Amino acid sequence: MVRRISKYKKFVMGNPVIQFFKFLWLSLKILIIVAGGHGGTRKVS
Amino acid sequence: MAKVVILGAGISGHVAASHLRRKLGKEHKVVVVSPNGNYQWVPSNIWVGIGRMKPKDLLFPLAPLYKKKGIGFIRGKAVTFHPEGDTENSSPYVNIEYVLGEDKGKREKVTYDYLINATGPRLAFNLTEGLLPATNKAYSVCTYDHAEHAWKGLQELIVSMKKGQKVKILIGTGHAKATCQGAAFEYILNVEQELRRHKVRDMAEITWIANEHKLGDFGMDGMLLTYGSNIMKSNEMVEMIFEDRGIKWILGAGVHKIEDGVAHYENLEGEYKSEDYDFAMLIPAFTGHGFKAYNKDNDDITEKLFKGFMIVDADYTAKPYEQWSVQDWPETYQNPSYANIFAPGIAFAPPHAISKPRVSKNGTAISPSPPRTGMPSGITAKLVADNIIDLIQGKSKELHHKGSMGNMGAACIASAGYGMTSGSGVSITTYPIVPDFKKYPDTHGRKLGKTFGEIGLAGHWLKLALHYAFLYKAKMKPFWWLIPE
Ligand SMILES: Cc1cc2nc3c(=O)[nH]c(=O)nc-3n(C[C@H](O)[C@H](O)[C@H](O)COP(=O)(O)OP(=O)(O)OC[C@H]3O[C@@H](n4cnc5c(N)ncnc54)[C@H](O)[C@@H]3O)c2cc1C
Repeated sequence: MVRRISKYKKFVMGNPVIQFFKFLWLSLKILIIVAGGHGGTRKVS
Repeated sequence: MAKVVILGAGISGHVAASHLRRKLGKEHKVVVVSPNGNYQWVPSNIWVGIGRMKPKDLLFPLAPLYKKKGIGFIRGKAVTFHPEGDTENSSPYVNIEYVLGEDKGKREKVTYDYLINATGPRLAFNLTEGLLPATNKAYSVCTYDHAEHAWKGLQELIVSMKKGQKVKILIGTGHAKATCQGAAFEYILNVEQELRRHKVRDMAEITWIANEHKLGDFGMDGMLLTYGSNIMKSNEMVEMIFEDRGIKWILGAGVHKIEDGVAHYENLEGEYKSEDYDFAMLIPAFTGHGFKAYNKDNDDITEKLFKGFMIVDADYTAKPYEQWSVQDWPETYQNPSYANIFAPGIAFAPPHAISKPRVSKNGTAISPSPPRTGMPSGITAKLVADNIIDLIQGKSKELHHKGSMGNMGAACIASAGYGMTSGSGVSITTYPIVPDFKKYPDTHGRKLGKTFGEIGLAGHWLKLALHYAFLYKAKMKPFWWLIPE
């Protein structure tokens, strides 16, 4: 069964006020993932 | 004095060049070789393809910037690699061919101390019979001129829909081993929204066609992600979006031939089928550029440098999917035979796919090749630049800057429709990009929380913000380096 997007969810997805806060939250969350850094996966030989 | 030559001025080449120039003293030379005189912010080509942006909005000429910043620039393309020099001169060099002006077609040896191959992919339209941008009603959005053609085609279609013609639109991958499903995903959602904006949505049947086994695979084996308070698979998320937008889908399809308005494909069941369309956008296969390499005696040593794409510090031993490990993926992007050659971004040869390889009942391989999106392309280019800087400055003989795609997160902000109040975006982050099944055995190799999805207007704003931020960064405006890759 394919999930459906409810009317309420659609409202949330398109509401500029709610989405403004989502924008701030998303930007921060993505920045944390990027700033979380990167590195190797192997032990130093 | 050291000379660093960078081949390609895409995301990875330009990131490497700008960091090298900023951090290296003027006594060192940084030279970029690129056939295209413009820098383009490739992700925004999607919006050119729906007529909401013009190519000029996402590109700028490189020559004036490079002149101002003291970066050498050659409008040419690399042709052959000579990492040991030749019988006349022992300095390593690349043979380049000028593509412009009086010197067009002329070849020159460009010597280097360090070489960064950031030539990205060759868009291999020729691997699918009949697939050529803007022919057979099939288009591409891989470059800004392709995207401009696509918009012309779509615009004509919209006019005919307004006159009452019912049409079929087909968007996805145009080869059994294609990658970059994310770009096609963005384009299908943007086209769907534009048709609604033009009030002709009911005149079009829109179909997704892809070599993915399941929706939302994206060449990354799909993902388990958090979505609000739910935990769902990426295929469930994409199914939900397609269902909501009335988009049909064909999966496990290896498109092998395009005729005027017809896409022929083989599916995983081994059936040969075809799909009619009035407008298609199909991503071609991506391959290496077919470069040749020679040693000082002019013997062919291509296999030391290339395996399609460039060979780097990956484990290329052929092994079954079950034995693939995150440690197979490169960390420094250094060629093992020539320590002064590096290949970040799409230019490096991946050790294997990320998605599980699948073959049809006829033995045809039909599954996505591994994507290397903008963020890892930028990150790997920066770490290559940092390692070269350390080597030049004599800080270390070891390469300290490492960044495996198995220990790196990526954010993919997929536009799902353009518009300040009516737009939408599907924001997906994954950590790590290459699943680490040992570290995260219960969550399909990825860390939940850091792997999440979000749908809504905020995603569109974010994608637009990234467009402006990355163009600002690419233009090397004040404090550009504070914006992360
Ligand atoms: C339509 C589209 C949308 C996308 N959207 C997103 C997105 O939203 N987010 C994301 O993260 N990623 C996205 N991507 C992927 C992203 O664009 C790539 O990951 C990125 O461009 C790779 O950078 P690169 O520098 O390795 O290669 P490229 O950008 O392909 O650059 C290669 C450069 O090498 C040059 N070159 C080619 N041949 C030679 C030669 N012989 N000698 C010298 N130079 C040469 C080319 O002219 C080019 O300048 C998208 C891709 C496409 C096609």
